[in-house]
Amino acid sequence: MQIARTWRQQASNLRLSGTQCASCHAHFFPGRIRCPHCASTDMQPHAFSGQGEVLVTTVVHEAPRNFEEQVPYLAGLVRLAEGPVIAALLTDVDPKDVAPGMPVEMVTRRIKSDGTSGPIVYAYKFAPLISELQDTP
Amino acid sequence: MNHIEIIGLGQTRCAEKWNVGLLDLAIKAAAQALAEAKDVTPCALIAANALSGALFDQRNLGTFIADRLGLHGIETHTVATDEASGGSAIRLASALIQAGRCEAVLVVGAEKTSDALPDQLEAVRATGLDALQEAEFGFSPTIAAALGMQQYLQTHGLDKGLFYHLSEIAHRNGAHNPKAIFPWVLKQEQYAKSPMAAAPLSVCDNAPSCDGGAAVLLRRSKPQSTHVRLLASAAVSGPTGIAAPITSLALPAAQASAARALDEAGLALDALSLFELHDVNAFFAALSIEAVGLAPRGEALTRAAAGHFYTDAAHPLWTMGGHKSRGIAPGAAGVYQLVEAALQLRQQAGPCQVPNAKTALVQCLGSFGALAVTHIIGV
Repeated sequence: MQIARTWRQQASNLRLSGTQCASCHAHFFPGRIRCPHCASTDMQPHAFSGQGEVLVTTVVHEAPRNFEEQVPYLAGLVRLAEGPVIAALLTDVDPKDVAPGMPVEMVTRRIKSDGTSGPIVYAYKFAPLISELQDTP
Repeated sequence: MNHIEIIGLGQTRCAEKWNVGLLDLAIKAAAQALAEAKDVTPCALIAANALSGALFDQRNLGTFIADRLGLHGIETHTVATDEASGGSAIRLASALIQAGRCEAVLVVGAEKTSDALPDQLEAVRATGLDALQEAEFGFSPTIAAALGMQQYLQTHGLDKGLFYHLSEIAHRNGAHNPKAIFPWVLKQEQYAKSPMAAAPLSVCDNAPSCDGGAAVLLRRSKPQSTHVRLLASAAVSGPTGIAAPITSLALPAAQASAARALDEAGLALDALSLFELHDVNAFFAALSIEAVGLAPRGEALTRAAAGHFYTDAAHPLWTMGGHKSRGIAPGAAGVYQLVEAALQLRQQAGPCQVPNAKTALVQCLGSFGALAVTHIIGV
């Protein structure tokens, strides 16, 4: 059920909550219940800082269902400050101003609407780091 | 493993078949394969299908195919490992024979994509990625491949136009394949004008989704048999998530799968006559070439441009058009590859024939490279 799934994902999707292995200290997003590196099951919740940098982006012109109305949209990979790389949509930025290495931070935005009767899904996107923008003359 | 032989082949033309359903595609291909070995009744049928459950088509396909074929009383299975489904089904069939559970096994791949609208199909294909953290966020295999191409170009300092040569090879060969959905030569100006799906990936960098069915009948080898034989089979999984192949520009599962298969067959790469790799998009075409060892990292495009993979060169690639020209029926893709390679080894590939083809390596990938299945066949 879409509503239950959206509710179940709120910690990761709204707070960027993942896990850290208590044994080998590796970070995971999304969170894991068993460490794929050292097999430990002592996984502690970890709230990611939400800051990271852009690795690569593309402007999407052919979108899957429920995303057509957002075309063209900016999709990319972001390396979080703690290490994991995640797939995420970028927002509040002109595509031509985005380059690899650009500092970004997590913001909460509407991701999609599931038709006319399904839930409106909110979750993370990434926007240029505000402190960086303020430093820009 | 060379005690398993391929005694029957079948395939429908890849196309948008408005008047044919999923089961009809499967039956047509299966019937061809069975007709090639009239005295053989399989004791198992394994169906390969990636999308039908999500597209609200028939589930548990294997059981329904067997019924329509009149093969009652046999065991049936349905394999769904994304675009690797065909390869997985062949591997499981060979395992049943090797284990002594079956004498002959029929593998049938089938997919019906044209009943879905393009955005629906793209959304369902996206569930082969991480459904919660990627598909849910508007990512699809096409978008992920675009990111991969961009990273490949940035990292290796290459021009986007070089990707043309991968599609050109597929179309050059597929132009002579009567089963191909797009049997025409791709010119450079066509490629350059192709609309962007997600820059830098254009429509001409993506294999077209299509309807199709393909089948192979495998059997324990008979003494003095001259049938094409399965020499090796290897399936390897790796990290899931689109970030892994894009950031590393490598397909460790594909590399390990190919290496294991070569080791099992006792063959060196240069001993192989032809290669059918997973060219569902230009990104995977390039990375697969490098993973298998046909080019050093970052050199797949320049080697393609230099003609290294033409049918008269040392390492012929996509000899019947690959997914790019023949079309990709996702769950059946791996079965199509094996059918085409076997036709080459039978010297029955017509105008696509690679002269004196004796051995072939076929590899299909699922879940954006997280699963790789490789088979080597020979005569």
